[in-house]
Amino acid sequence: MSQAAAQAPSTGPGAQERLRGWAASYGIVAVALLVLLVCAGTAEHFLLPANLRNILLQISVVGVAAVGATIVLLAGAIDLSVGGVVLLAAVVVGDLAERQGLPIPVAILGGLIVSTLVGVLNGVLVAVGRIEAILATLGTLLLATGAAKLALGSGWIVVSDDFFAALARDRIILDLPAMVLIMLLVFVIAAVGLQWTPFGRSVYALGNDQRAARLSGLPVARVTIGAFALAGLCSGIAGLLMVAQLGIVSQGDAVGLEFEAITAALIGGLSVTRGGVGRVEKTLVGALIVGMLANYQTIKGVTPEYQQAILGGILLVAVIADRLFRGRPS
Amino acid sequence: MGITAAEPADQPGRAPVLRMRGITRRFPGTLALDGVDLEVEAGSIHGLLGENGAGKSTLLRILAGDQPPSSGTLELDGELAVISSPVQAHDLGIGIVYQELSLLPNLSVADNISLGGEPTRGLAIDDAAVRATADHALGRIGMSHIDPDRLVASLSLAERQLVEIAKVLTLRRPRILIFDEPTAALNHHDVERLFGILRGLRDHGIAIIFVSHRYREVLQICDVATVLRNGRVVGTVRQGEATLARLVELTLGQQGELTLRREHRTAGTGDPALVVRDLSVGAWVDRVSLEVRRGEIVSVCGLLGSGHTELARAICGDAPEVSGDVRILDASTRPTSPRDAIRQGAGLIPEDRKLEALFPDLSVARNISIASLGRLVVARAVRLIRPGRERSQVEDGARRTGIAQAVLSRPVMTLSGGNQQKSILARWLMRGCDLLVCIEPTRGVDVGAKLEIHRQLERVAQDGAGVLIVSTDLTEVLSVSDRVLVMYRGRLGAELDPSVASEQDLLLAMQGGIAGERAGYLEEAAS
Repeated sequence: MSQAAAQAPSTGPGAQERLRGWAASYGIVAVALLVLLVCAGTAEHFLLPANLRNILLQISVVGVAAVGATIVLLAGAIDLSVGGVVLLAAVVVGDLAERQGLPIPVAILGGLIVSTLVGVLNGVLVAVGRIEAILATLGTLLLATGAAKLALGSGWIVVSDDFFAALARDRIILDLPAMVLIMLLVFVIAAVGLQWTPFGRSVYALGNDQRAARLSGLPVARVTIGAFALAGLCSGIAGLLMVAQLGIVSQGDAVGLEFEAITAALIGGLSVTRGGVGRVEKTLVGALIVGMLANYQTIKGVTPEYQQAILGGILLVAVIADRLFRGRPS
Repeated sequence: MGITAAEPADQPGRAPVLRMRGITRRFPGTLALDGVDLEVEAGSIHGLLGENGAGKSTLLRILAGDQPPSSGTLELDGELAVISSPVQAHDLGIGIVYQELSLLPNLSVADNISLGGEPTRGLAIDDAAVRATADHALGRIGMSHIDPDRLVASLSLAERQLVEIAKVLTLRRPRILIFDEPTAALNHHDVERLFGILRGLRDHGIAIIFVSHRYREVLQICDVATVLRNGRVVGTVRQGEATLARLVELTLGQQGELTLRREHRTAGTGDPALVVRDLSVGAWVDRVSLEVRRGEIVSVCGLLGSGHTELARAICGDAPEVSGDVRILDASTRPTSPRDAIRQGAGLIPEDRKLEALFPDLSVARNISIASLGRLVVARAVRLIRPGRERSQVEDGARRTGIAQAVLSRPVMTLSGGNQQKSILARWLMRGCDLLVCIEPTRGVDVGAKLEIHRQLERVAQDGAGVLIVSTDLTEVLSVSDRVLVMYRGRLGAELDPSVASEQDLLLAMQGGIAGERAGYLEEAAS
């Protein structure tokens, strides 16, 4: 007792250390709340349930893609192929359902399989071919985009089946549409999977130190391929949600989505240069911040060009703040 | 000493080019150098010997201008000198060829040689002059066959070292060249070539300081050798007076005569945990055979570069160019990867815990459980980790290795070196292994943690696993092992019984000093 009491006053550096730890863990949540307060205070209707629901709908596609980006970043790599894979999955789903007239479940399965296979290809290029992830996935980004455009032809595919429209429209639980629930479910599964499965733990270990992972007996190649495959699957699900949201698949869809996904993850505290640190939950917070700001600016009549530039500025501020709080990795 | 290079007789250059007087260097809590007097003559090769921590590195750093002495004076050619920076050391004609080579792999040989002092023409680098400098420097050590345009990355280790030497020779007036363990990574042939170059430099009147743990080479090449122990000079021996035994004795002092192991355990009666037959690894390990039985602690001990680390890596499936047999327990094949070895029942404590074992940002607990994840899941098909089972097993491993429960949730990088190493040990205790391979298990660890780790290794053996320790630490090897195998130039030279062997015996054997029936190949070495 007395010992504890004697030690209590001398926690100068300890207190600072704890503050840093707290900032590193929850700082992004505080920022999100701040954004929420500011937006709610200065924009009418921001807090209306319909608007909040709208924000969640708007971030569903990016959010799911950001889960994939997070897994790959945690494993110490990066996936630039997201935009192409999302488009490819959407085209496959649209083509199978509308042009081939196949049942919806088959079309969906087809889209998910194709996107996962592109992910596996990414993983094999990186883990077996030993090509840097940024190069390999840049290649598959172009490959997938090109393939999607070829399959699409010069036109577009209107996806008229009501199943997709219902995903974005019908409210199921908590007044939320299925699309949003799917996104949240993907986050929950990823959060649990990354912390409480051998695979998830291996992803963290791999991102921390690949050589140590190898010498600890982890299946390094398999985990790398798995991480990219899951990112591909996430892109596939994102493609599906995009079809639901837009009801039509055309050439310009999902362009640059990889950067939006990675931005959400980075605002959430992940690092491009240092894997194995961060949490997928915070990527959701990052996506929410981006979504709230975009929505706010739309309400305020800011044009998309400005919105993009502002998003870039926010990313830089977030990364710098993160560095300041956490201290530069040595 | 056997080698009779044409001694330039009684040249004026025999005067000391370097004279250190009372050089002392304090660090918080330790005295790294304690009043060192050292004279190095021009045109001589001067050996600098001592155990790790004896003060050699500190002495070199002072000469290189990396750190100043706390007190003492230093004279160059009779003039008082202060070396306050590496640049100044350079200007004074002192060059160092470091153990870890400092070349930039993506630049050409010529660019590397001129790096930092590029000849310029106007604002641009004078490429022709850069080339000429390289040609000249390489020619000086008789290495004109190395193309100055080649990238350093394409050179062999020995060639890189030669480039490093050529680079040092571009000093305006090289007076003292220091070689820090230059032969550790070289094969026999390259060593001979290096010695030829060193003798050539000496004959040009340059003083050479040759730092080495390989006493045979010291005997072969050095004119004088100074031995450091605990920061003091304990002896300077001239060519002709020096013997291997004398150098070993000076290095270790009185304590080296003691035998450290308290009692001889009746170990090694179990089944073999590891059988190695005719294992070769590249140019490093040459047809080594050994056995580790369950319940036994076997050490393989050797000087840096003797091949003992490569042997351990090959046993764990982590080395290229391996031939021969490795059998862990009753496995039917040689492990092809660390994962393979671990699944066959091995655990591995690698040489560099920061780069090869730890996940710095993960908690201590997660560092411990990382090798046992498959066992913690609910079911084979339901691969969810059971938190309760994980916690209890991690806590058990922590208890057994003496890690405080309170630190388990902290990032492992915030722990002391000793506790970090204990976490790695706990990792394998948690997994449970029948063969534990440890490379330098207590390097850079405080004394308390060292004892704790040694006690744990003994317990691992008592519990029925075989333990193989690969180490350069004499005390460690003698105090924990049941058997000590000495490796010398890629082969197992001698086997010592640690209950009767002293550190001197061991160090002598590591130098290739025991010529028995199994060590006939040693005869080629100079004596």
